[in-house]
Amino acid sequence: MNHPQKRASVPDQLQEHGGLSKGTSASVHRATGIPEADIYGVGSFFHLLAEPDIKVRVCQGLACKMAGSDEVQAEAEAAGFPVKPCSCLAACDQAPAVLKDRRVIYGVTSEDIKRCQGDWTQLTDAAGASHGIVPGFVGPEGSNPDLRAIDLHGTIELSGVAYSKAIQLGAEKVISEIDASGLQGRGGAGFPAAFKWNSVRNQPDPVKYVVLNADEGEPGTFKDREVLLRRPDKILEGLAIAAWAVGATDVYCYLRGEFEAPWQVLHQAIQEAESSGVFEGIRFHMHAGQGAYICGEETALLEALEGKRGLPRLKPPFPTEKGLWNKPTLIHNVETIACVPSIIEKGGDWFKQLGKSGAGSKLYCVSGHVKNPGTYELPLGVTLDELVEEAGGYIGTLKAFSPGGASSGFLPAEERRRALDFKSLAEVGSMLGSAGVTVLNDSINMAWAAQAQLIFYEAESCGQCAPCRIGTRFLRENMTKHLNQMKSGNATPINHLEHVADAAWEMNEGSICGLGQIAALPLTSAIKYFPEDFQQTRTPNS
Amino acid sequence: MSENTVIINGQKVNFNPGDTILNIADHLGVKIPTLCHDPRLKPAGACRTCLVEIKNRPKLAPACATELSAGMEIVTDSERVNRHVQTLLALYLTDHETSGSSNDFDRNGNELLALAKQYEAPLHWPSMENIRQGRPMDVNPYVAFQPEKCISCARCTRYCEEVESVSAITMAERGSRTTVFTADGRSLMDTTCELCGGCIDTCPTGAMTEKKPLSMTIPANNELEKVRTTCNYCGVGCQMDLNVDPKGNNGRGKVVKVTSPPPGTTTNDGNLCVKGRFAYDFIDHNERLTVPLVRGTDGKLQEASWEEAYRRAAEGLIKVATDHGNDALGFVSSSRCTMEENYLMQKFSRAVFHTNNIHQCAAT
Repeated sequence: MNHPQKRASVPDQLQEHGGLSKGTSASVHRATGIPEADIYGVGSFFHLLAEPDIKVRVCQGLACKMAGSDEVQAEAEAAGFPVKPCSCLAACDQAPAVLKDRRVIYGVTSEDIKRCQGDWTQLTDAAGASHGIVPGFVGPEGSNPDLRAIDLHGTIELSGVAYSKAIQLGAEKVISEIDASGLQGRGGAGFPAAFKWNSVRNQPDPVKYVVLNADEGEPGTFKDREVLLRRPDKILEGLAIAAWAVGATDVYCYLRGEFEAPWQVLHQAIQEAESSGVFEGIRFHMHAGQGAYICGEETALLEALEGKRGLPRLKPPFPTEKGLWNKPTLIHNVETIACVPSIIEKGGDWFKQLGKSGAGSKLYCVSGHVKNPGTYELPLGVTLDELVEEAGGYIGTLKAFSPGGASSGFLPAEERRRALDFKSLAEVGSMLGSAGVTVLNDSINMAWAAQAQLIFYEAESCGQCAPCRIGTRFLRENMTKHLNQMKSGNATPINHLEHVADAAWEMNEGSICGLGQIAALPLTSAIKYFPEDFQQTRTPNS
Repeated sequence: MSENTVIINGQKVNFNPGDTILNIADHLGVKIPTLCHDPRLKPAGACRTCLVEIKNRPKLAPACATELSAGMEIVTDSERVNRHVQTLLALYLTDHETSGSSNDFDRNGNELLALAKQYEAPLHWPSMENIRQGRPMDVNPYVAFQPEKCISCARCTRYCEEVESVSAITMAERGSRTTVFTADGRSLMDTTCELCGGCIDTCPTGAMTEKKPLSMTIPANNELEKVRTTCNYCGVGCQMDLNVDPKGNNGRGKVVKVTSPPPGTTTNDGNLCVKGRFAYDFIDHNERLTVPLVRGTDGKLQEASWEEAYRRAAEGLIKVATDHGNDALGFVSSSRCTMEENYLMQKFSRAVFHTNNIHQCAAT
């Protein structure tokens, strides 16, 4: 192993040691030559490494909280489990989710905890599915590759038809098809894909990389999990086409550490592709995350891939210029890359016209108060009402929704007929983001809902820059005081929210990356649209 | 516009490739506040105090880490930048120990508090308890870490890695719990630490500080007299500042700590080693020789004048040379001597006593 590879192996080696406990950084130091303190710094950054004694983690994401995860957490504590709450496990469609070691268990109830009789190793969900690979619900019904670029109901096929066609077309034509398709990044930022492909391809450096961002963790989002479980073929073929087009031979797949089941599926697909030689000349490498939402930010992900603390880099330079090990790097979200094979096979124009108000079909994740939570591949630009109709309808009366993960803030029910696309949502100060749609009915107090999101951002801030590190905690602490005051009905209330607007302004202006820039949005949007929910006379949900 | 010109606050200036916004602002005397910046370190852009506006860029940019490019138009004092600095400092203060009134904010060399005063940051935002972990059991004699004063700017850890290549300390944990830590939280004595104290020197807020003065009652930093001197522990000639409490030692003055001159001003560039920074106890030690001693006829040491001491030494040397020949003498110079002193020593050996028996203890 050369030095960068040794460095990159640090998180894996810490995992092999069972996480960070006394003496492990010294062992890894002896094996790698990386300074011991440095290794400790890495281990203490990632939750799955930093707390080796914690075996069970209960998701405290908004959808899971709405489904009663607080009771599950309390029950697990009472049962004496080595348990802690954790951030979104990308299973909002099957809430409440619990992580057992590194396996996500769906729909865990207090009854499931009780059945273990204090032995956490016995934990299974109601169906007894503690092992094996369980995909979530996806719609619309049936396979329809003519209308859906990813086609989650389709069958896994590693024939390399699109890859062969790409080679036939030549790199420039491939990129012009991507350009014609109007494909925008589906991870959150919505950046035009072809622009990135071109800028990586045009870098003079002969060594280039392609990176798959499968660090899905935006509260409300679980579509990448479904693509990994159901269509790993689309992912690998998309990656191979991208690598070939930009001139890369090595592809790094970064999967969040909690994705044990998706890892198995992708790993098997890579092995099959390697033994059949379908993507000859392209090498796939897999890298496990260790519990840090921030590593979904592309430059933090690169740092983590290099074996460092997952701190976002200053931009510019962008990864397309200086990415992994300072080499030009193309990074794409799982869904984005999975759209590529169909675009190459059927053409950019075909993809573009699949959408309504934006280009392509889109995976929408729906969770919260709907009848059939799940992942739905629909024309880009459907409205909330259209989406929820596919998902079996609302439960109760719609009050608010988060259209694109926690980071998109909240919108009121009046926006239910707004197109869920990049442009229309930006117009109202929100965003399509990851299209993780969380639906809230009128049983929810929005101050309570905002607090759930603030807890998430405080827990997941990397701590590098002050506006985010201090701001996320400042907002959450003052909201705690505010909610306590609402509960106790203080006769002479103190205004704990006095500095929210200023702090939010500064977090947006001053933070290095998107996390800090939008972390206040759930709170400020809830205050904007639902001021009455913050009044002293209201009772927060719990 | 010519190739190497930028506009800063309306003023057109030339720049050299590689210059940052902060470099050029310093050069022009345009004040940009910084906290995580140290000219010895690679820019981190993490404290966010130095953010400025650049025309046609939607986001504010860190002056320390942004290299100039031709035609850039920079504004450092707009309403937006000022609001940013004030609000950011207000946030910092919610997470920082601010005992004392704002009139005291610049007395102890705490750069954060001094900036808060200078930029009139709001002081009334509700404060939060410190949740950064310290290492109170660390038995090392010199370096203390006070987590309640830490602003997680990582100057100390970057200094330890980039300047000293020691990496004894690291930024650990994450989010609002981010702190400065050692592997397994051990004492610095049980790490690669060389106790150079550079972490103290670079720390902007005094979170990293000298341990000894903490247990003494000493005046505020701005009441200490600084006496520039040359370290006499080795021949490198590091410049250092003795921090003297003028009222100490019954008004004779007492050295209460040693600090290094600012980076870029002396050849040691703000760096010192463990001896220079911490080994100053000999100054007031009761066994310290303050006058020459010569042995009397009774064999006991007695106080003497310098003339008397030189005479006795010369007599002894001449006697050996006369009785046994010049090569019976040998001269060994101390590694604490400067280059010039070593030169004089060999001159003394070769020109005065005509022997080549001259050595310097650091030469082997």
